[in-house]
Amino acid sequence: MLLVLVLWPILCSLLIAVAPARQARQLALGGSLVVLALTIVAAFMFPWDDGASYHSLGLDAVPFLPSLGVEMSFGVDSVAMWLIILTGFLAPLTVWGSFTAITERVRTYYAWLMALNAAMFGVFVARDIIFFYVSFEFTLVPLFILISLYGSSNRKFAAIKFFLFTFLGSIIALAGLVYVAWKASADIEGWTFQIAALQEAARAMTAREQAIVMLAMMAGFAVKVPLFPVHTWLPLAHTEAPTAGSVILAGVLLKLGTYAIFRFVLPFLPIAVNEYAPFVAVLSIIGIIYAGLICWVQTDVKKLVAYSSVSHLGFCVLGMFALNSVGAAGSVLYMINHGLSTGALFFCIGFMYERYHTRSMEEVGGLASRMPVWSFFMVFFTLASVGLPGLNGFVSEFMCLLGAFQSGASDIGAGGTVGQLGPWYAAIAGTGMIVAAMYLLIMVGKVVFGDLREPAGHGDDHGSLPADLTLREIGVLTPLALGCLILGVYPKPVLDTIEAPVAQVMAQLEVEPETMHAATSHDTIVKFAMQAGGSDND
Amino acid sequence: MSLVGAIGNDVLTLAAEAASTASGSGPGWMAAVPLLPLLASALCGLCLAGRIRSKLPAAIVVLSIAAAFAVTLFGFLGRADGAQVITIFEWIGLSWGSGPGETLSADFGFYMDGLSWLWMLFVTGLGSLIALYASEYMSGDKGYARFFAAFALFVFAMACLVMGDNLVLLYLGWEGVGLCSYLLIGYFYKRPAAVAAAKKAFIVNRIGDLGLAIGVFLTFVTFGTVEYDELFRMIDEGVAANGQPLEELWQTWTIPLLLMVGAFGKSAQLPLYVWLPDAMEGPTPVSALIHAATMVTAGVYLVARMFPLFVYDGVPHYALNTIAWVGTLTALFSATIGMAQFDIKRIMAYSTVSQLGYMFAGLGFLTTTGAAFHVFTHAFFKATLFLCCGAVMHGFAGQLDLRRLSGLIHMKGWLIVSLAMLVGCLNLAGFPLITAGYFSKDMILSQAFTTPDSIVPYSSLMGWILLITAGLTAYYTFRVFFRVFVGPVEYEPGDEVHDHGHDDHDTHDEHGHDHGFHPHAPGWAINTVLAVLAIASFAAIGTYFVDKDHHGWVGGLLHDSSAAYHAPAHEHHAAAPELKHGGVMLTAADDHGHAADEHAASHEAGHDDHGGAHAEAGTLFGQDPHAVMYYVSAAFGIVGIFIAWLLHYAGRKTAAKSKADLLLPFLGPIPTWAQNKWYVDELYDILFRGPLWLISHLFHIIDRLLVDGIVDGVGGIPRALARSLRVGQSGILQNYAVGMAGGLGVLLLIAWILTVAG
Amino acid sequence: MMAPVLAQASEELLTNPTLFHYLFVSTIMFSIGVIGFLTRRNMIIMFLCTEMMFQAAGIALVAFSRYHLNHSGEVFVIFVLTIAAAEAALALALVVLLFRRRESLDAAAWAEMKG
Repeated sequence: MLLVLVLWPILCSLLIAVAPARQARQLALGGSLVVLALTIVAAFMFPWDDGASYHSLGLDAVPFLPSLGVEMSFGVDSVAMWLIILTGFLAPLTVWGSFTAITERVRTYYAWLMALNAAMFGVFVARDIIFFYVSFEFTLVPLFILISLYGSSNRKFAAIKFFLFTFLGSIIALAGLVYVAWKASADIEGWTFQIAALQEAARAMTAREQAIVMLAMMAGFAVKVPLFPVHTWLPLAHTEAPTAGSVILAGVLLKLGTYAIFRFVLPFLPIAVNEYAPFVAVLSIIGIIYAGLICWVQTDVKKLVAYSSVSHLGFCVLGMFALNSVGAAGSVLYMINHGLSTGALFFCIGFMYERYHTRSMEEVGGLASRMPVWSFFMVFFTLASVGLPGLNGFVSEFMCLLGAFQSGASDIGAGGTVGQLGPWYAAIAGTGMIVAAMYLLIMVGKVVFGDLREPAGHGDDHGSLPADLTLREIGVLTPLALGCLILGVYPKPVLDTIEAPVAQVMAQLEVEPETMHAATSHDTIVKFAMQAGGSDND
Repeated sequence: MSLVGAIGNDVLTLAAEAASTASGSGPGWMAAVPLLPLLASALCGLCLAGRIRSKLPAAIVVLSIAAAFAVTLFGFLGRADGAQVITIFEWIGLSWGSGPGETLSADFGFYMDGLSWLWMLFVTGLGSLIALYASEYMSGDKGYARFFAAFALFVFAMACLVMGDNLVLLYLGWEGVGLCSYLLIGYFYKRPAAVAAAKKAFIVNRIGDLGLAIGVFLTFVTFGTVEYDELFRMIDEGVAANGQPLEELWQTWTIPLLLMVGAFGKSAQLPLYVWLPDAMEGPTPVSALIHAATMVTAGVYLVARMFPLFVYDGVPHYALNTIAWVGTLTALFSATIGMAQFDIKRIMAYSTVSQLGYMFAGLGFLTTTGAAFHVFTHAFFKATLFLCCGAVMHGFAGQLDLRRLSGLIHMKGWLIVSLAMLVGCLNLAGFPLITAGYFSKDMILSQAFTTPDSIVPYSSLMGWILLITAGLTAYYTFRVFFRVFVGPVEYEPGDEVHDHGHDDHDTHDEHGHDHGFHPHAPGWAINTVLAVLAIASFAAIGTYFVDKDHHGWVGGLLHDSSAAYHAPAHEHHAAAPELKHGGVMLTAADDHGHAADEHAASHEAGHDDHGGAHAEAGTLFGQDPHAVMYYVSAAFGIVGIFIAWLLHYAGRKTAAKSKADLLLPFLGPIPTWAQNKWYVDELYDILFRGPLWLISHLFHIIDRLLVDGIVDGVGGIPRALARSLRVGQSGILQNYAVGMAGGLGVLLLIAWILTVAG
Repeated sequence: MMAPVLAQASEELLTNPTLFHYLFVSTIMFSIGVIGFLTRRNMIIMFLCTEMMFQAAGIALVAFSRYHLNHSGEVFVIFVLTIAAAEAALALALVVLLFRRRESLDAAAWAEMKG
């Protein structure tokens, strides 16, 4: 099933590439709807009661280079499953939302869009690091092409910067992963790249090794998140990317970073994570406030939302490095929520851009009287982004902050947990809530409210589009709005199902002081490698 | 198993919970109270989408809120004693262990006790009346459906805030009312002032919200729960979730301080009051409901709700003392500003801030009953006042300047408005004996002198400040009445032709206001609502005499709620059982007997509202303050009204000038300062907004130049390297040959050095 | 005085040459080739200079071959000569082509590969 999920978008992509250009849109929409359908089928097949362990929902693995131990092995837990659902949910929307924005070279566009979906699915279903890493890196290629061909004025530079920046980071992360694989393969013949085996090996490393590997991994994943101070590619890439590219970038691609941290850094390197959690948390808090304040002085509305992503993802990382269940669960929930609300904001801005061909808040404003429906959605998603209770952003933001607050507060009360942060971290990060209200409401105040301002000489002409949203555009935004509302009012299905995997990761984070420098337990690694090899033969 | 299975299980547990709810703790149909307005809001949204221009949205909202009121009333009449907990569905739930504090659980459920009943009754009651008023007031406006959608959503959020059975749901309502306030203040979104005011309200509120949020976090960390039921049980037992006694924990006094910050933000107290006067940019019904009667009292509600923690014995009461002082100073400060304003709606806004200050002072003096009673009476008379201002604004094309209006009572069709205004003013000024405002304010004032200094230091000083403020209040209230509603008939229409958007029917009679402007008198809906509210403001006195044991009906309700603090089970109760009826247990263990006597004594006097008085109760002029205060506060009120009469009515010939102007030269720059709101907004601009703005720009520059510069710089290294090397690539053949030859020579040299010399 | 000594020495050298003498000639020729290549800009002259360096290397190879009584050096020289002949044909053809393009034999006229 999971293999189908990866292969189908690739197939679609090829089909679109060879089919006549006139049918590219229809093919892409049809194909992405099938993606959604496949996601739903997968969601139904997934045993939610046992969300903590990995399920391949069919084929376990495809041997690739057996002599080197490289194989494509599949498996998802409930966290990955939710992110797959998010990806599948966004797929048809991004296609549908691009119908009028992309009028040239449509085949290339949709083909790469579908390929991007395949790569993202690949990241979430991979159970070995080679498959994971290939997918992780392959996401860069489609997006590079989408940005450099379909972006706005400065697109070439943005695309190259985006590519090189993230590529450089993930190469370093690969070095870290390969080091772990080398450790894991020390005692067996050949190699193993199974995440499970690697995890055991990594956990057995010394504190010093773990610290170095953590640095390497964070170098890659933090760029992707992006964490302060390696965030500067994001505003540029977002500003220049076409709408669907921004939506996928904010919606799913950034989550690859946080997902990888959750999947690799936390369970692999418990000693280092415990030791350096405050450092990462400080970086994320700086990011929250720093990016938030920068948002305040932006005039480019898309750049503003891009910087707000940096700020928001800071909460996500903060929650994760609280190293307790509330924080981590909030962080996972944040990944989904941010994908919905910020993705939707990028859609809104894209729809505005299609009509006015500017993103400057100085040129466009007071659109409430010209585009009431659009304004409704814009205000709605802004409020979701601000973290208004009842909408999705609140639950996750609240839990991330509570997690940070609890963390290390076990001496204060029973509600405190282990961890390295504490009330001060939460309190300072909490000022980010105020800053978020400031910049997002100022944005809404300028763009939506106030006197109508349109670019000079704009007149009543919106190209082929009506003044307000078309039914298609409303159709794109409505599912997102419903998602925001449902997850805000009833987040329980998500919280219930991610409870088990989060608890498992948290259990793996508990470090006995004496194991800090214990020798490598080779037996376990060998056992794991054998198991992995065994399943290969079955 | 599947996703559907998981959700199915939820539904089953939900049903099971619903079943247990029905049998046990409270009626599940109370969910209708928040859900009806929510439904109405959604329907209004549909009207908006369907571009329905009739009065349908108003009808839906009025009916739904009235139905919510009916449900509340029904539930109230059939309520059981004590608190009822009603769980509707599980909202946030996550557990990571089975020990205490290892489950985060926040349900969508209600905690109904006297406090929540009281609040819900006036929220839904006033809500339906004001919605009715708005159905006429807003008619013809383009955003009719939008207005009512937000209005109904507000009632929903307020219901969540008040009825919620845990602090997270309270937080939901807290931010929800903030949102609706934002949407409604910015209702006239084309006016920059309205948009700015809306933004300011939301952001200033967010500052308070941060305090509240951290308070909630700390509560959870300390008690392992955010649900009132369990929280109060633990406070009652005096132990935190980890078994430590609360006296030894610093959180016991920190949590109240943090919650207090939230309360200050929402209830517009110093230093976070600045948003409320600006919020008057919203339509007047909104000002009446949200910014006078209900939402701004949420802070009082929060403190009253968490009162057991605020008065917890054995730890310092920093929060309570701060609340008392801040309340007192806010009352005085905003009254001074109110005296110098000319916009009658702004005056009412400052008076709201001032009256909220009274309520907080009351909380600080440990009379939750006084505070809640004042909230209750204030809700009615302030709504009346605002709606009257709204009617004036409606009729005179947005004119609110008291120098340009005069003698309304003599004009045709304005009698009911003027009388309602008089009722409101009398209440606000605390005119003795016949007004409810007099009794409720009195309760707070007398408690200021009763509460001994050992509990609230300098409480009598605060009492005097509040008394003076009461005089000022009477003055500025009647300044409005004497200037606008009586005296010579004179008016000048406002320049905003349709401030509240009367596109259609204003065109024919108001557009030509320069020649032959006719003020248009309010219609039946506005008059009915004003009449009902004016009567209700009077009738509120009745509640003071209902339940004499608890100092009025409100006191009775509060006695049955968390705001009435019950003595910790492990002390006091054997010696002084009746102390449980009183508020506060600050008694040292060895002198309960004495305290009990004192308490009984003051009970006999019949005015001691809460028996905080364990040591010598304070006195006023050597008498029991409760007895004397009737006369003292009456005197202050009447003097204030008299001065207003003297300065603004007696001998006034025109609308613009009165005798008060004669005083101006003697006061120097003070009136100008007060009129400019003591430059607080400007001060905040200099202190906070400016530096922050600078820092933001600085960060932006740093981000572009330094952070991004480093990144681009790293990216530039290969390029720079290549550039320096390309000099060698001259393209001239001989240069390459020289390079080759030279390189060979160097290699040979190295080889020679290594072999021969080495 | 000096003349007879010189005459004797040169006679000895002519009648009894050593390896050194061959290498000396080779070095001189190579140096002339290098210097000519580096200093002249006429492509034909430069090409001739490279031929000269080739031949210098050939002399050295033959000399060593004789010195070590081993024929591989001579065999190698045959190869070099063959390649040089082929190369000369090709190179001169190129030079003619290049000349047609620029109407000049200056090598500097073809500095297009400059970075």
